[in-house]
Amino acid sequence: MNKKIIAVFFLILALTFTGCGKSEEKQAEDILKIAYTTDPQGLDPHRTAAVSTFNVTGSIYETLLAITPDWEVQPRLAESYEISPDGMEITFKLREGVLFHNGREMKAEDVKNSFERLKGEESPKAKDYANIKEINVLSDYEISFATEKLDVELAKAFIYPWTAIIPIEDAETLKSNPVGTGAYKFKEWIPQQQIILTANEDYYLEPAKIKELEFKLIPDATSQMAALQTGDIHLAEIQGNQVEVLKNDENLKIYSEPMNAVQLLALNLDNEIFKDVRVRRAIAMAINKEDINSTVVYGYGSSVGAHLPVNYPDYYDTNDVIGYNPEEAKKLLAEAGYENGLKLEMTLPKNYQIHMDAGQVIADQLSKIGITAEIKVVEWGQWLSDVYSSKDYEMTVAGLSGRLDSYYFLKRYHSKSGDFISYITGEMDPLLEASTSELDPQKRKEIFKEIQVTLAENVPVVYLQTPDRIFALAKNIEGFRTYPIDIYEYKDVFFK
Amino acid sequence: MLNYIFKRIIHAAEVLFVVSLITFAVLLWIPGDVAQLILGSDATPEKLEALRISLGLDRAWYLQYWDWLKGLFRLDLGQSYLFGQNVTTLIAQRLPVTLSIAVFSMLIASVTAILLGSLAAIKKNTKTDYFVTGLMQLGSSVPSFWIGMLCIVFFGLKLKIFPITGYVPIEKGFIPYLNSIFLPSFVLAIGEIGMLLRTVRTSMLDSLRQDYMDMAKVKGLPKVTVYLKYALRSAMIAPINVMGIQFAKLVGGTVVIESVFSLPGLGRLILVAVEQRDIMLLQGLVIFITFLVILISLIVDIAVMFLNPRIRVQMEGE
Repeated sequence: MNKKIIAVFFLILALTFTGCGKSEEKQAEDILKIAYTTDPQGLDPHRTAAVSTFNVTGSIYETLLAITPDWEVQPRLAESYEISPDGMEITFKLREGVLFHNGREMKAEDVKNSFERLKGEESPKAKDYANIKEINVLSDYEISFATEKLDVELAKAFIYPWTAIIPIEDAETLKSNPVGTGAYKFKEWIPQQQIILTANEDYYLEPAKIKELEFKLIPDATSQMAALQTGDIHLAEIQGNQVEVLKNDENLKIYSEPMNAVQLLALNLDNEIFKDVRVRRAIAMAINKEDINSTVVYGYGSSVGAHLPVNYPDYYDTNDVIGYNPEEAKKLLAEAGYENGLKLEMTLPKNYQIHMDAGQVIADQLSKIGITAEIKVVEWGQWLSDVYSSKDYEMTVAGLSGRLDSYYFLKRYHSKSGDFISYITGEMDPLLEASTSELDPQKRKEIFKEIQVTLAENVPVVYLQTPDRIFALAKNIEGFRTYPIDIYEYKDVFFK
Repeated sequence: MLNYIFKRIIHAAEVLFVVSLITFAVLLWIPGDVAQLILGSDATPEKLEALRISLGLDRAWYLQYWDWLKGLFRLDLGQSYLFGQNVTTLIAQRLPVTLSIAVFSMLIASVTAILLGSLAAIKKNTKTDYFVTGLMQLGSSVPSFWIGMLCIVFFGLKLKIFPITGYVPIEKGFIPYLNSIFLPSFVLAIGEIGMLLRTVRTSMLDSLRQDYMDMAKVKGLPKVTVYLKYALRSAMIAPINVMGIQFAKLVGGTVVIESVFSLPGLGRLILVAVEQRDIMLLQGLVIFITFLVILISLIVDIAVMFLNPRIRVQMEGE
């Protein structure tokens, strides 16, 4: 009996070994395998704010306008658009013959229905579109949107992935069975395992070059790296510390672009200590951004001096306004009455390694000018409710991702914004308000420059960097780019 | 005997009730707002409130709990807000994964432990004994995620003989299925062998010392019969209890191994449910796993009863 057990054991082992190794054979270059770490919050673009959803739905649904990686606005479902001279109305001419994945043609009525759904009760983005007071269907292929107040960047509101045009008859089931007009159709989603999309043969533009997209859930970074190296996946977003290993692999290459985001050390301006600009400047001077850049993101990031990310068209370099100067920082702190040092709490969100790491480097740097930062680590859910919503914190490290227009990104600093980093003294208010009524893009750019300089001088928060988004991908993949919003155009990707 | 099983079932129901109450309470009291997690940082307070109402989170906790309990009697564990699916469906999808690696790793662990443990006992205080126990001590003291990583690098990356991520259901072929679960099961087994092996060795030593062993030897029975039929059989009671405990632990999901090998099992589902505050999902999972654990311990008790005539008689006499 003993021997039998051993025999069975080894038989199983032998079977296991002989069956391996050949499983990759069938996969021609028709399938692009992409690693992801978090499941989407459903696949209905009007019912979530989750980036994990838009990363996938960006290939299924489409919007009236699109943006290129270089921030150029382009027509998509709309062939063209026109804004009235007073800037209060935008009219789109839609493409004809665009089919939903259910076979029906997309018309102006669908656009209207989609936007009404987006403005509805259950939509997390509804308040962004509250300014649209009227939607008029002019013909099957013409539609206009009238606004209540002037929005100088009106066209950009029609690019975001949550403005996807959907067939209303399928609205109820979009969460698990998405139907759009995009270059890829939904095939399957097994939560926590994989999502499969197939190329849409009836696509009205040039069809996708790769027949199938397979999103594979691999939560562990090391496992992702191994999967890249064995060719189990073709594409994965990685962290700076993984680059060194992967760039030496002859089958892989690295691609990186600055994110549309800033990482910052937020200071709660409701706190008496931080109301004194000398304290804030002292903290800014104590932080060596070069150190954060090299240790936290391994060089994959660019330091910033104000709130706009480096790739923004309105970006103005303010890195030199307050430089690294710990000696001066100590003096400023003493002037402010803290010659014996200070004790402050720093809340860090556990799920974001980049903020955890930056927080620890900053705590160390602050200790050199006599500030003791006590680190308190919280879960993401708690960070959102305590820090972000209730403003119950002293310092925190956070990443804020941008939109396509600068005002939207900067309006947090309005004294009435109620934001966790709002600038309570109101110094930014007139500038921010001016930017919303200035129709001339050049003059608007000047206003944003002034805002950035003011932020850099007064440091309501300490700006750290624009981190890069880094990808490792199979060497024969071409056409993969990142975009200023949370989508990827996989239809342009191909195997060389 | 029936009486005994009936008693156990009543006891199980009590345990289930208490566990569900504790989970519910803990989930309500830990910080973090479900609505905020769903709607993200852009949400307005009105939107948050509306969502809380639609999720039923604005009602008193005992009402929420009562509704859930009523559902449980209809075997309806409610809906997961995260996936928009029934909790029972989600569990049914994940169970084969977790069960596969639990069963397979227990198989590897018990076969290895029984073989080596008996060997160590028979060759007590020899080099073989020291080698076996030393090796297993090492195996059980090294963290499983690290062994997992090593296995991925060695078997997956260097030798390329095992896939390193994902799970292949048995419907898609037995060999690919076995391939996908072998490494994680093997790694889990390493962690379990140590304790099991020690138990086998100790109880084997104990039964080898019994008088009937000398009797059997004196009778001139073949060695294999002596060790397997007499010694091992009576030595199996303690190891079976240990196996039951270990199996119950594995069935509850193995978060680390499931993450390292990207397996969609119960462990990862629990992790997501906790992180995203999916109360219905977590509550359902906890109840289901508690139920499984109770079931396994019942099966173990019955198995022991069959192995050990003395317990059997005792119970029948109750």
